[in-house]
Amino acid sequence: MATKKEILEALADYQINCNNNKRLRKMQRNWTRKLNFVAEDTGDVFSMEVVNGEITSFKPAPIEDPDIIVTSTSENLCDMFWGDLNPSQKYLQGEIRVKASQEDILRLDAISMIIWPED
Amino acid sequence: MIQLKKVIKLRTVVSTSAGMALATSCYLAGLQVANMVSGDLAWVSILIAGILALLSSLNFSELTSLYPTAAGIKLFIQNAFSEKIAIIIGMFYVVLGISMVGAESYLLSSVLSSTMPLFHPYWDRLFWMVFFILFVGVINFRGVKITGFVQDILTYSMLTFLILISIYAFWRHGFHFNLPFRGSSAQAGNIFQAAGVGIFLYVGYEWVAPLAEETTDYRMISKGMMIAIGLLSVTYALFIVAMHQGLTEAQLRSGTLIPHILFAQNLLGTKGVVLFVIVSILASVTSFNAGLLNTSRFTYAMARDNVLPRTFSKLHLSYATPWVAILGLVLFSISISLVIFFTGQYLYIIMLAAALECFIYVVTAVCVIRLRKKFPDQPRAFKIPFGMTFPVLTIIIFTGLLIGIFSDVTRDYNGTVLFHNYWVAFGMALFFMFTTFYTLRIVPILKQKAAARAAVRKRRRPGRNGR
Repeated sequence: MATKKEILEALADYQINCNNNKRLRKMQRNWTRKLNFVAEDTGDVFSMEVVNGEITSFKPAPIEDPDIIVTSTSENLCDMFWGDLNPSQKYLQGEIRVKASQEDILRLDAISMIIWPED
Repeated sequence: MIQLKKVIKLRTVVSTSAGMALATSCYLAGLQVANMVSGDLAWVSILIAGILALLSSLNFSELTSLYPTAAGIKLFIQNAFSEKIAIIIGMFYVVLGISMVGAESYLLSSVLSSTMPLFHPYWDRLFWMVFFILFVGVINFRGVKITGFVQDILTYSMLTFLILISIYAFWRHGFHFNLPFRGSSAQAGNIFQAAGVGIFLYVGYEWVAPLAEETTDYRMISKGMMIAIGLLSVTYALFIVAMHQGLTEAQLRSGTLIPHILFAQNLLGTKGVVLFVIVSILASVTSFNAGLLNTSRFTYAMARDNVLPRTFSKLHLSYATPWVAILGLVLFSISISLVIFFTGQYLYIIMLAAALECFIYVVTAVCVIRLRKKFPDQPRAFKIPFGMTFPVLTIIIFTGLLIGIFSDVTRDYNGTVLFHNYWVAFGMALFFMFTTFYTLRIVPILKQKAAARAAVRKRRRPGRNGR
């Protein structure tokens, strides 16, 4: 079980990696979304705001009117933000659940694929 | 509980479900149904097919409520059986979607080449066929999305148009519905065999399931599918009978590929033809676009899961679309269209799609039964009433229809044998062998390579699980 502090550290690293990746910023340049991440085992909720592909903020609290809600275990969320798991695989196994449009689900997966390519 | 900012409404679930099933190939499939039951009794077979589609929708509803995700079909088969079986059947499903695109583009090209001559009927058809597939491919590649609002307008306009035209045609011809089982050819066997082919008219209604992730209540998907099947049943029943009635004997005997255009010409003249060409284009574009969208995303997800080569997971840097998957499927669609173009066996694809759909319905019913036994306490937003009765009925009826399709012979209006349907079973078996070989021999190699890559990759997460 990952603690709130661990997930926030992971989110901070995720923010740096996303914002510093030129390929990702190009792809997501028109993508502005509010995201909630729900750790179902601990009950913690985290949120993130993306404006034109840049992660502008994240916090350990839910955001109103999100465009995307990602639900999984705290461990999976932590590993996902550190780039240690393949979100698509977990999604296909039903371990990560996403409430969003198909386009947003694909873009969310694209973030991990681009910042941590599987060589 | 916090909800999504934008959620899909029931009317959009209905329009998406009905819109995916409504296609140009349906007119021809409907005419085939009418030919099998001597025309004016087609409505009985279409309604029976609708009731059967409703039966199958119950299984999809329960499974969607259990796994409300775009990856639902892989997930529920995987949990009910195994990942290998899920891959084999998942690929079946992709082929179903793409085969439909092949048949659809061939038939739409027939509509366009006969109404908008450019060079020569032969080359015109080839041109429109490739143009149409490439056009939808580019739409997908660019990530242009048909919004829920546009889908609502398109689907409800098309349904209303077809119903009104049918009523007008009945009024013009003074038509009365016949009661079933009165005519000599109206035997129960014919009607039920025609219902088996009639299943084709509903193919794709369940592709609305991925929208579950955009709804507030998963039960909306089940409701939407059922309403869509109801609307389609009424529309098809009216229109197919009206169209059959509105064609001359010579037109029926000609084995035309464009019965709805000839019907429009007979009923309304040139204005009617223009209207029907527009409806054909809209119906084909919406159903083809949805088919390519779903199958390309599924292909992308399978590649990300190391089931397909990794190249299929490449995303376009400007449009964020899985361009290799789209390109691969577009080439596959063009190949199927070309095979149909050179052989003229479009009815083979219609039969194949109907048989594949029956097979998928049987699989979903078996999944419902197995998942109820394996996970009896897992919450389900929708549970089929009366225990296992409906899933068991689905298995019996659709297995019967499948056998019925395989043992039948496809004929044209004149009664000439086009092909024996055991060739459809042969085609399915061939593909089944290919996907089984791929899953058992190739997928383990891809998975091993992925595991080797993962083994040399350092974990980034610090602390107890990482460095």
